[in-house]
Amino acid sequence: MSFSSAWVPKKPLPEYQEADTNNHPDMNITKGGLVIFSANSNPSCMELAKRIAERLGVELGKVQVYQEANRETRVQIQESVRGKDVFIIQTVSKDVNTIIMELLIMVYACRTSCARSIIGVVPYFPYSKQCKMRKRGSIVSKLLASMMCKAGEYRQHRSFLWNMPCLSTSLTHLITMDLHQKEIQGFFNIPVDNLRASPFLLQYIQEEIPDYRNAVIVAKSPASAKRAQSFAERLRLGIAVIHGEAQDAESDLVDGRHSPPMVKNIGAIHPSLEIPLLIPKEKPPITVVGDVGGRIAIIVDDIIDDVDTFLAAADTLKERGAYKIYVMATHGILSSDAPRLIEESAIDEVVVTNTIPHEIQKLQCPKIKTVDISMILSEAIRRIHNGESMSYLFRNIGVDD
Amino acid sequence: MPNIVLFSGSSNHDLSQKVAERLGLDLGKVVTKKFSNQETCVEIGESVRGEDVYIVQSGCGEVNDNLMELLIMINACKIASALRVTPVIPCFPYARQDKKDKVSRAPISAKLVANMLSVAGADHIITMDLHASQIQGFFDIAVDNLYAEPAVLQWIKGNIPEWKNCIIVSPDAGGAKRVTSIADHLNVEFALIHKERKNSEVESMALVGDVKNRIAILLDDLADTCDIVCLAANKLISAGAIKVYAILTHGIFSGPAISRINSSPFEAVVVTNTIPQEDKMKLCPKIQVIDISMILAEAIRRTHNGESVSYLFRHVPM
Repeated sequence: MSFSSAWVPKKPLPEYQEADTNNHPDMNITKGGLVIFSANSNPSCMELAKRIAERLGVELGKVQVYQEANRETRVQIQESVRGKDVFIIQTVSKDVNTIIMELLIMVYACRTSCARSIIGVVPYFPYSKQCKMRKRGSIVSKLLASMMCKAGEYRQHRSFLWNMPCLSTSLTHLITMDLHQKEIQGFFNIPVDNLRASPFLLQYIQEEIPDYRNAVIVAKSPASAKRAQSFAERLRLGIAVIHGEAQDAESDLVDGRHSPPMVKNIGAIHPSLEIPLLIPKEKPPITVVGDVGGRIAIIVDDIIDDVDTFLAAADTLKERGAYKIYVMATHGILSSDAPRLIEESAIDEVVVTNTIPHEIQKLQCPKIKTVDISMILSEAIRRIHNGESMSYLFRNIGVDD
Repeated sequence: MPNIVLFSGSSNHDLSQKVAERLGLDLGKVVTKKFSNQETCVEIGESVRGEDVYIVQSGCGEVNDNLMELLIMINACKIASALRVTPVIPCFPYARQDKKDKVSRAPISAKLVANMLSVAGADHIITMDLHASQIQGFFDIAVDNLYAEPAVLQWIKGNIPEWKNCIIVSPDAGGAKRVTSIADHLNVEFALIHKERKNSEVESMALVGDVKNRIAILLDDLADTCDIVCLAANKLISAGAIKVYAILTHGIFSGPAISRINSSPFEAVVVTNTIPQEDKMKLCPKIQVIDISMILAEAIRRTHNGESVSYLFRHVPM
């Protein structure tokens, strides 16, 4: 099976080496069995699921997910899930709402088909930026969490007499990666495993950036300073923080993202919103705290979506003397015009993981590189299915990561 | 004393405007938009603290987006301390996935949607012509299933001159109950068409009842791809009907529906405005629209004042 190009480390990380030698080719199928489904209808989103299935040595479960003529989603599971551990891998791409519906319908279908437990693997958790109360808005992350946990009705029996499978809730467990705010874990009633992509990004820095010891980790706003510091600590480098006066991307009043989306979908945006999109912003006075002169600047963040702030940061860093600028982000949404803007900017390379499919963006902008993180997801699935400890996967993680 | 605050989702702005006019109110200020990564964002623009909130959103067009928008709006009103939040959903989404078919692993998506609405914080649902009235039982909260029947009867009497000589036809055996109810009110006869399967492949349609020299009115609750309805029309014309009308509550018209209707022998295809029909009317001159905004407005007014809604099951308010 040929996959799209993604960077895979030359030697596996030390914390996974032990796990690799223990990799069982057959996955304890006698113990109730496991099934891995991909609930995406879009083939490009299924790539991560295929990689994970290949690592685990199982085939993806047979399921048909499609949209009918009237745009309703239909899910048809074509193999038995009775009494099995079902893992549903869902990657988020452009049609967020449809993807949420596909996941919920799939979870509900598995529940009413007597699956033993249903574990959702959602590497990028959607609506994670709407996790605070803003004016009279809704906390959509909480709504989404409630729907995932309760939309199948919370009920749990335990049958101690026989070894019968428990009739469990809708979603029993959630695996995600680099949640925008860790507090989102508290929105759920079920256990949430917030895996980290930072070991992979750190390894990329150490192997692919030749003189990384002359680098400085940069936080593009004070909000991401903690993450920058955890990276810098593990690489033994210094940090710098960019601080601009008009930057309130995380303030309580304004969500700094662009709206409406600049997409050619028909019917995806309201016909009434015809306002011109990228209103040129005035450049506020930006200060850089820390020394970047004559060094490589590595900007780290968790999500890269609207790239305006990154571009402004890159320009500032170039002015202050950085000779190369890298951007490392876990989730590369890169919506609307981002690839073109990155191509024309002072940024040398943008490194994202494959939690979100971005093949189209890579074609438009060769500066974008992908890091494959299917190893940690498949390892998490294996450990959960076998009931083993997951603490291995959290070993080299700093407090603030 | 709480006031009515009426919000409109982005699916059917026209209908919400008409409902608001009939109630003598302005639509509540709300901003619904999408971010560049397609996430929906809703911001309520006025105070709803302690008010009786009604949100009009139909499950049509981009169904998943409109459903998510409705859920987010309900949630936003709830956490802004509204007294009661009632979504008004003229066309209920996923209503046809309401039971497990032969393949027993099918999800009951209508139940899932009911759970999602409850979780988001809805206190009461107002909907119209549910595909199966059992869907009311999927909810733990009160559901008002209004009928378009009185409005349909009024249209027939007003727009079909020889309605006393017509015959009401159901395009499948499942709609027989709906059709007999209207036929009784009009004091006319009814017929039905049912599919015969030979060798589980070739289906032919058999007409039960006599339509010779009559005006046939096909009645169903929704029209999606219009496959069955157009085949039924051909069958009725070949069985001797003079004219064929089709009256459908929810006109989804997806896929090849419009071209099928244009090439079919229908005199007129009549739908209600639960789903916006302007662009479809431009493509197909046979489509006519019955306005049901007064039924919804009256239901909202009666629910707010705590009056009986059963008047609406028999009469069309002015």
